[in-house]
Amino acid sequence: MPQFFSNKRLILLLVGVIVLVALIFFSLRDRDHANVPEQIVKDVVGFGQQLFSKPAHYITDLVDDVDSLLNTYEENQRLRSRLVEYAAVQAELSDVRKENERLKDIVGKEDDLRDFEPIHASVLARNPDQWEEKVVIDRGESHGVKKNMAVMTADGLIGKVILTTPFTSTVQLLATQDPDFRVSALVTGETEAFGLIEGFDTERRELILKRIDSAFEIKEGQKVISSGLGGIFPKGLLIGEITEVTTDDFGLTKQAHIKPAADFSMLEHVIVAKRSSTAVDGSDAGNTDEAMDKTADGGKDGDGS
Amino acid sequence: MIRLLIPFVAVVLFYVEPVFGLFSPIEVGDKLRFLIPRFLIMFLIFVGVYYSRQRALVYAIIFGLLYDLFHIDIIGLYAFLYPAVCLLAIWAVKHIHKHIAVVTLITLLLVAVLETALYGFFTLIGFIGMPFGEFVTTRLLPTMIANSVFLVLLGWVFKSLANRRSIQKREGML
Repeated sequence: MPQFFSNKRLILLLVGVIVLVALIFFSLRDRDHANVPEQIVKDVVGFGQQLFSKPAHYITDLVDDVDSLLNTYEENQRLRSRLVEYAAVQAELSDVRKENERLKDIVGKEDDLRDFEPIHASVLARNPDQWEEKVVIDRGESHGVKKNMAVMTADGLIGKVILTTPFTSTVQLLATQDPDFRVSALVTGETEAFGLIEGFDTERRELILKRIDSAFEIKEGQKVISSGLGGIFPKGLLIGEITEVTTDDFGLTKQAHIKPAADFSMLEHVIVAKRSSTAVDGSDAGNTDEAMDKTADGGKDGDGS
Repeated sequence: MIRLLIPFVAVVLFYVEPVFGLFSPIEVGDKLRFLIPRFLIMFLIFVGVYYSRQRALVYAIIFGLLYDLFHIDIIGLYAFLYPAVCLLAIWAVKHIHKHIAVVTLITLLLVAVLETALYGFFTLIGFIGMPFGEFVTTRLLPTMIANSVFLVLLGWVFKSLANRRSIQKREGML
């Protein structure tokens, strides 16, 4: 049997392995910044990817259209019955909105955590090996996308921007296993309760809302929205609905399972939410590392949301 | 014409993988199954076996690097695994047989090896905490099934493409 490797090749291989292992550790250390060559590669590959993703989206859109065409009659019946209700709600809404504006004027409050500028984007690619829940979208720094911005679909929040290049950005989805990914959230209802979205239950495909003060009453079916208190996300983005309330491991605070409002599996068009009121810079000169446990939210890099 | 066809097919497969990735995961029997497209590496194995080992390795390194840069943000992971898998495949085929059925089987086996190696790596650096049994049922098996369908459908195309190129090259040399 001939030898698998000659000596010279063996040495070459060993050197190659050492270089690659060094590269792996070098790039693992600093994954949330892309240096210039990385950015160029990402933009060029992203441009090519568009040529393939756009037709694919077109086809799936077409299939969806046909699908909804088939359901038109039933849907029409259902919607007509809700139309009456809608007019009343609409009238009330405009009334409330006007009153809200007037009250804001009186208080002299201009900034609102809820206001955001939408940046529409298409999903170029989903990380095909799917070990990490990441997607690449076709809007980048030159369109005003910045790191840590909230990303959502029409249904609700799906994640945040973790990396930007001039023409693409990478979005980490809520369904991630990354323990540093936290979102400051608010349970809506008669009494509002604050908590942090921390972690994802892969088996149940549900988010876990932790650190809710046990004095607050929360129950199943309540809606959870982003609170805007992390400094980067706008307030009021729908996250999901509570399905189960439990106490945490130490019995000090409550935690809840949340069924996400948005579907993470078939993503096509997303909206990047650029908050209008002052956004707090994600980094704070490394202070967050020390204060990580004390701060309401913020990960290793203070990337609270 | 055929000269450019092999890199062209490789580029197409590289771009098609994430598009297929958009359809995954799918729900089968109450559980989400992940189908991970591994078209490119299967094609590169065929190129390596039926055309030229050197070319396959060069493509494997280039596309591995691109994959790392664009999708993973860890440079060196796929840039190492792709050529390594290619080398293993070529070595195995040399010692067993060059028949297409054998090559298909070896390719699928090596896709499983690649998948398991990635599982090992990501577990090692603590990105995932998935038990091995769950990995096999929700990831490995669905991935294997999907990729074997792809390879059975298109394996002979890969083979004839690589074969034709190598014949053309031999004629050019004579």
